Amino acid sequence: MNRRVVAALLRKELLDVSRNRGALWPVVLVTALALIVPFIVTIVIPAVIGERLSDDSDLVRLSLIVDPGHMLSPDGRVQLFFFQQFLLLFLLTPTTGAMAMAAHSVVGEKLARTLEPLLATPVATSELLLAKVFGALMPTLLIAMAGLSLYLAGIAIWGMPGVLGAMANLRTAVLVVLVGPASALLSLQAAILISSRVNDARTAQQFGVFVVIPVSALLVAQFTGAFWVSAAGLAVISAAILLIWAILAGVSVRVFDRETILTRWK
Amino acid sequence: MIAAVALTRQFGDRLVVDGVTFTVARGEIVALLGPNGAGKTTTLRMLAGLIAATAGTVTIDGVPMTAATGSALRRRIGFLTEAPGLWDRLTVRENLAVYSRLYGLERWENRAAALLDRLDLTPHIDVRAAELSKGMRQKVALTRALLHDPEILLLDEPTSGLDPEVTRGVRELLAQRRARGGAILMSTHNLGEAERVADRVAVLQERLLALDAPAALRARVRTGRVEIRVEGAADRYLDAAASIASSATAEGPLLHVVLADPDERTPALVEALVRAGAGVVEVRQDVPALEDVYLGLVAHGDRGPAR
Repeated sequence: MNRRVVAALLRKELLDVSRNRGALWPVVLVTALALIVPFIVTIVIPAVIGERLSDDSDLVRLSLIVDPGHMLSPDGRVQLFFFQQFLLLFLLTPTTGAMAMAAHSVVGEKLARTLEPLLATPVATSELLLAKVFGALMPTLLIAMAGLSLYLAGIAIWGMPGVLGAMANLRTAVLVVLVGPASALLSLQAAILISSRVNDARTAQQFGVFVVIPVSALLVAQFTGAFWVSAAGLAVISAAILLIWAILAGVSVRVFDRETILTRWK
Repeated sequence: MIAAVALTRQFGDRLVVDGVTFTVARGEIVALLGPNGAGKTTTLRMLAGLIAATAGTVTIDGVPMTAATGSALRRRIGFLTEAPGLWDRLTVRENLAVYSRLYGLERWENRAAALLDRLDLTPHIDVRAAELSKGMRQKVALTRALLHDPEILLLDEPTSGLDPEVTRGVRELLAQRRARGGAILMSTHNLGEAERVADRVAVLQERLLALDAPAALRARVRTGRVEIRVEGAADRYLDAAASIASSATAEGPLLHVVLADPDERTPALVEALVRAGAGVVEVRQDVPALEDVYLGLVAHGDRGPAR
């Protein structure tokens, strides 16, 4: 693996994305939505209907899991529960937007006929695909992190006293530093694998949607209180995701058939 | 330098390139001619190691092109693809910069300055590729192929879409590369260009129909026709002409004759005419254009032997 080559390709990917604002709009849009929804649920709706979050005994019971030491008021605890839950959603939703970008990456190059001159250089497939994955991941994470700052700022402004402080824990750190990026990496790698095996951008996107399903299932399970994944559990999940990503990256290189891409795709 | 031996490529049941053997030496330009679908692009792709041959071998300076050697060999090749393949949202400078970094070139703009000037790209260096005309895109693609100063050039229709002035510039550029020892294989539909630029012409139609210098190829299709301009009416000398030629007709001051071997028999014909009292003004052998040779070869490609 030649780092200079990967850096050159990555630079090109980022430059291309920065000039293609349209490609980033879905990422910005889902991030904005994921940013607004938690505040509507925890602040706006209770205020509009004139009820407090702690009026729901089930929610109070469920939320104990995030504050077993009863450090917060019942309302603050339920808020913390929601904000923690939405944090995972918040970190993963930008990936769904970036899927379109990743899914389009290889097939898009082929359709624009930019792939053949590139393949005629000494570039290795692994270098090309790595640059593609990170070219989609980096702007996505950047937008997610910018959104996260706004998310935390919103909690500081509108949240109950002590909620922001309670958010600053190991679990949050693992979610932000490991789970989010690892999941995004896996999803985008899968999208690029699909992109290099199909000959139409729409097909790549349609297949790419399947990658989001397991992540959505995890979110739904957490919301219903079926289980609560601790910081350690999230770290293990992240490690597993990274391992799967490494395997998938290897598979992507093996199944990237230069010849078929050049000669069979139209 | 480049050697293709019995190069064959099949896509499913379809044979696209059939047992093609040729070489391109250092300091040589070989033009690859053939109709659409003749296998020119496939041949170039096999030589660049982009697709594998079904049978046969490609070697560069004796090193076989394989999956293991491909990357190192491609470093020595400049490949101009059929389509320019520029990243539309990037400027000319950015497009070229990506490739220069891939090849690890330092200060590529200094190195490429002459090239950019010759192809009139310097004023357009900060224009996005999407805004360039077809010809301009082709010039950028050509610059990209030459950027790392490769010893071997594989060019798929290098002057396609270029105006005559730039086309001449490109031809001069190729001639310079040849003078510096470069091995150049270029596909083209432009027979005039092949004749002007190439040392040898390869006519391909699935298999190699001919490979020779343009003049030698033309010599293969001798019509035997000779046109002689004489003083006064030519019909007075028909008998003298017929004594040497296999057929002779007259039209005003022109005698049209057909000789079995024009090179050998023309002096005898002129002598016979002079003896008959003719004032010979001009003798012109009918030399077929490369186009005639090409069309003849392609038309009979499925029957004629590869020479």
